[in-house]
Amino acid sequence: MNPLHVFVSRKGVHLNTSRFWLSLVTAGAIALPLLAPTGLGADAGPIKIAVITDMSGTYAAIAGQGGVEATKMAVEDFGGKVLGRTIEVDAIDHRNNGPEAATKAAEAYDNGAELALDLTNSATAVAVDAVAKQKHKLEIVTGGASSALTGASCSRYTYHYAYDTYSLATSTGHNIAKEADGKTWYGIVPNYVFGQSMLSDFTAAVTAEGGSFVHSDMYPFPGTTDFSSYLLAAKQSKAQVLGIFSAGADTVNITKQAKQFGLDKTMKLAVGLLFLSDVDALPDVFAGSHITTSWYWNQDKAARAWADRYTARVGGGLRPTSIQAANYSATMQWLNAVKAVGSVDADKVQTYLDGRKFNDFYAHDGEWRARDHRVIHTMIVVDVLDKSQIKEPHAWYKIIETIPADKAFRPESQSTCNKDW
Amino acid sequence: MYMLGAFVAYYGAQLLHLPFFAALIVAPILVGAFGLGIEVTLLRRLYGLDPLYNLLLTFALVLVIEDLMRLAAGALGSPYQAPDILSGATNLGFTVYPTYRLFVIVVCLIVCAAVYVGIERSRLGARIRAATEKPELTRAFGINTSRLVSGTFAFGAALAAFAGVLAAPNTNVAPNMGDSIIINTFAIVVIGGLGSILGSIVAGFALGVIAAVGAVLYPPISNTLIFIVMVLVILFRPAGLFGTPERSA
Amino acid sequence: MIAGRRGALVGAALLALGLVLPFLPGVYIIFAIDLVCFALVAMALDVLLGFTRLLSFGHALFWGGSGYVATILIAHGITSFPLALLAAVAYAFVLSALVGAISVRRSGIYFTMITLGIAEIQYFLAYQLIDLTGGDNGLTVATRGTFFGLSLEDDHVYYYLVLAVTAIATALAVRIVTSPYGAALAAMRENETRAKSLGYDTDRLKLAAFVFSGTLAGLAGALYAIANRLSGLDGVDWHTSGAIIMMTILGGIGTIYGPMVGAGVFQSLDYFVSKTPIGDKTNIVMGLVFAIVILIARRGIVGEILHHLSARAPRLVEDEDDPDLLVPDISAETA
Repeated sequence: MNPLHVFVSRKGVHLNTSRFWLSLVTAGAIALPLLAPTGLGADAGPIKIAVITDMSGTYAAIAGQGGVEATKMAVEDFGGKVLGRTIEVDAIDHRNNGPEAATKAAEAYDNGAELALDLTNSATAVAVDAVAKQKHKLEIVTGGASSALTGASCSRYTYHYAYDTYSLATSTGHNIAKEADGKTWYGIVPNYVFGQSMLSDFTAAVTAEGGSFVHSDMYPFPGTTDFSSYLLAAKQSKAQVLGIFSAGADTVNITKQAKQFGLDKTMKLAVGLLFLSDVDALPDVFAGSHITTSWYWNQDKAARAWADRYTARVGGGLRPTSIQAANYSATMQWLNAVKAVGSVDADKVQTYLDGRKFNDFYAHDGEWRARDHRVIHTMIVVDVLDKSQIKEPHAWYKIIETIPADKAFRPESQSTCNKDW
Repeated sequence: MYMLGAFVAYYGAQLLHLPFFAALIVAPILVGAFGLGIEVTLLRRLYGLDPLYNLLLTFALVLVIEDLMRLAAGALGSPYQAPDILSGATNLGFTVYPTYRLFVIVVCLIVCAAVYVGIERSRLGARIRAATEKPELTRAFGINTSRLVSGTFAFGAALAAFAGVLAAPNTNVAPNMGDSIIINTFAIVVIGGLGSILGSIVAGFALGVIAAVGAVLYPPISNTLIFIVMVLVILFRPAGLFGTPERSA
Repeated sequence: MIAGRRGALVGAALLALGLVLPFLPGVYIIFAIDLVCFALVAMALDVLLGFTRLLSFGHALFWGGSGYVATILIAHGITSFPLALLAAVAYAFVLSALVGAISVRRSGIYFTMITLGIAEIQYFLAYQLIDLTGGDNGLTVATRGTFFGLSLEDDHVYYYLVLAVTAIATALAVRIVTSPYGAALAAMRENETRAKSLGYDTDRLKLAAFVFSGTLAGLAGALYAIANRLSGLDGVDWHTSGAIIMMTILGGIGTIYGPMVGAGVFQSLDYFVSKTPIGDKTNIVMGLVFAIVILIARRGIVGEILHHLSARAPRLVEDEDDPDLLVPDISAETA
C-alpha cells in the first residue's frame, strides 16, 4: 500500500497526519542501518590538534589567531609529522559559549583531533573538560583561568598549563605585601566565581606576609560600569593597596576610574589578571599596575628569540602574549610525548607526562604534576611601565620578582581534586 | 547609537584631532544623521505593523553594527581621555570628586530638563506627542507626521550619541558598551512610563540610587533589583510611574 | 496552512529530513542534536507568538532554567534520564504557570518586558548560586543518564530519542492549534474584543498557550543540556531568548513547522559560517539575514513558500495582496 495515498485522501486531517508519520518512522527505522556511516580508519589520517579559542570576541587578542599561529609554529618546528603521520592544526572558534565549545570539541575529537588546546574562557574550558573525559582524549588548557580546572572540576584528561587565578593572586599578593608599604589592602571584587576565588587567594597570600584587607567591596556582576562609590570608599579607607580582582572590560573601567579619582598617586594598583594585549590596547590606563604573568616576551634571551620569530611570522610588529607562547610550548611538549610513547593514546601519553619535569623557553622548572594535572613552572611579577619609560614598542613590563614553581601554584597538599577523576 | 557616539568622538579625536567639546556636538549630529538614514530607508517600511518588528529589526542592526565596530576597533576598545580642563578632582568640602564627573552630572541635568520642556511644553513637542499617539488624526490636521517621526528618531539617536560621548572618558570606548546598558535602558523607560520623559528621567535617577543602595546592603541582589521593580511596576501600574493610563478596551 | 494536506506534507518532509539529518555530509551528530532541540524550542515559541501575538523575550527562562534543573539533578546522582527530564519539565510547567498568571493580562511591550525581566532575574540567580549552578564556569555532568536501562551515551541513540520527543511534541502542537481551542486562539488573535463578547475567557486562553509554550521550551532546553552534559549561563542569557525569536521569525510565525525550519537554517548558518574564514563576521551575516527577512520576507521562509503555493487557496492568516501597501498583517491592534 502506498503511504502517500493515505494522506492525499481527504479524510480527517489528524488521522492522516499521524498515520503518515507512523509509516515514515517505520520506513526510517528500516532504512537506518543501511545509512550507518562507514568508520574512517582512525589511525590512517593526519593527527589533528584542535585549537579551541576565541577568534572573534573579547579574548581574540589574548589568544585567538595568534594562538593558532603559535601552535602551527610548534608543529612546523617539530617537522610536521609524528609517528609517520602528518600533523594538522584546526582553528575552532568557541565564541565564548560553553555548549558551542563542547559540540565543536566533540566534533573535532571524532574527526581525528587528539588534543584540544587553548580554551581561553573558563566556561569553555570546563565544558570541553567533560567532553575530553567522555571521549578519552586530552585537553590542555592554556587560556582559561579558573583554578577549578585542577580543583572541583579536575579530570585525568585535562591539564592546566599556563596560569590560574590562584597563581596570579598568590604571586602578586605575596610580592606586594612583603614590603612595608603594601600591608593594608582594599579590594574591588566582581561578585562571581572568578572574583571570589581571586579575593580568597589574594587574602591568603597577603595574610601570610603579615598584611590584611581593610575592606572588600563585592560589586554586582555583570552590569556595573560606574565604580565611583567603591573608589571613594577605597580612598577614604587609607589602605595602601587597591586590589582590582575583575577581568576584561571591568578591569579597564575600574583602573581608568581609579586614576580619575587620583588613587594611583596614593595607592598601589594590584591588578589580578592582565595580558600584554590589554596593555597594548590601553597603555595609559594600565601604566603603574602590578601584575603577575606566566611569561613575558622580553624576559630572557630564549623568550626573546622565540618572540622575534613569532613577530616575523604574524607581522604587524605585535608581540606574543603569554597564552600564545604557552600554546607553542604545550604543543611541543605533547608532540615529544607522543613521539616518545609511540602512540597518541591519551592514557599512555598522560602516564608518560605525569610527574615529568621539563624546561623550555616558556616554562622554567616545569613539571606535569601527577596529583591534579596542574602544570607548574615559575611565574613573574611585573610592573607595567609608562609610555615614556619603555625602550622599544610593546616592552611594557619591568620584572620585579620571579616566583619559584613550588610557591607559585596551589600546593599538592591543598588540592581539592577528587581522586576519582 | 550610544556606542557609535563614543566611537565618533574617538575617531574624531584620533583622525581630526577633534577636541572633546567639538566631539560633543559633532558626534550627535553624525549619529543623528545616521539614525535618520536608518529610519527613512528601513524602519519606515515597518510602520503600521506590529511594533515588535521595529524592536527586532533594531536588534538585528545592533548585531551588525556592533560587530563591524569590533572588527574596526578591536574588542577591548580604545582609550578616550577627558579634556585637561575637566580632569583632576574638585574639592566639594565634604569630599573630593573628579571634576569630569561633576561636569557630566550638570550637563545631564541640563539636557534632561531641556528635553522635558521641549517635548512636554512646546508646540513642536505637542505635535510629536500627537503624531505618536494618533497619527491618522494628526495627519488630518495637516501635519506631516512621517517627517516628525523621522526627526524624533534622529533626535533620539543624537541624544544617545551625546550620552555615549559623555560616558567615553569614564568607561572604555568598546563595541559592546551598548550591550550592557540596552536592557537596563528598556527597563527604565518602561518603569517611568512609555512616552513620559519625566518618568524616564526620574526612574533613571531613582534606579541608580536604588542599585547603589542595594549594592551596599545586599550585593547579590543589586542588579536584579531593576527587573524586580520593573515587573512590579508593570503589574500594579502598567502605564508606568508617570504615564497616563492607557484607555484599554 | 498547518492542517490539511499541505501541512501534513511539510511535517512529513521535516520528519524525513530529521531521520536522515545525521547522515548528511558535514553534519556532526551533536550539532544535529542541538539543531533539533532548537527546532523544538522555536516551535514552542511559535505556539505563543504565532497564535496569541504575545512576544516572549524570556524563553531562556524555561530553556536554560530546565537545563539547569536537569543537570543539577544528574550531578546529584539522579541519573535516571526520564526522572531528570520530568523534573525539568515540571519546573518549566510551574514556572510558566506562575509567570503566565501575572503576565498574560498585559499586552505588547509590557508583556515582553515582564518575560524579559523575570528571565533576567533567573540569570542573575544562576550567576550567584554558585554551589548549585557552578556560576560562570557552568555545570558539567559525566553522564546523560539511562533510559530504562538503555544507555544514552551513544550520540545517535540520543539523537533519535530527541527526534522522537520532538516529533511527538510537534504532532501535539499541531493537534492543539487545529483543535477548537486553536480556533478560539485564532479568533482571539484576529479580534480580541469580539472573542470576549462571544464568551471566551481570553486571559485563560492566553495562559494555556503560554504554559504549553513554556513547558515545551523547558523540555527542549533540558534535552539540550543533557545532550551536552552541560548547563551554563549562555542558556539563561537574554541573547538566547533573542536567538529563539530570530529562529521563529526566520521560519515564519504561526506556521508551527516554519520555526523548526528557521531553527535549522539559523543553527546551520551560525555553525557553518563560524567555521569559514569569515567566521569572525558570523554575527554580521546573521544580523543581515535577519534584517532582510524582517524587511522583505516577513512571513519567514516557510510562511512565504506556503503563501505563494496557496495563492488560490482560502487565506487563513494573512491578507496582504499588495506587498507595497504595508497593511498590518494581523490587525489585532485595532480595537
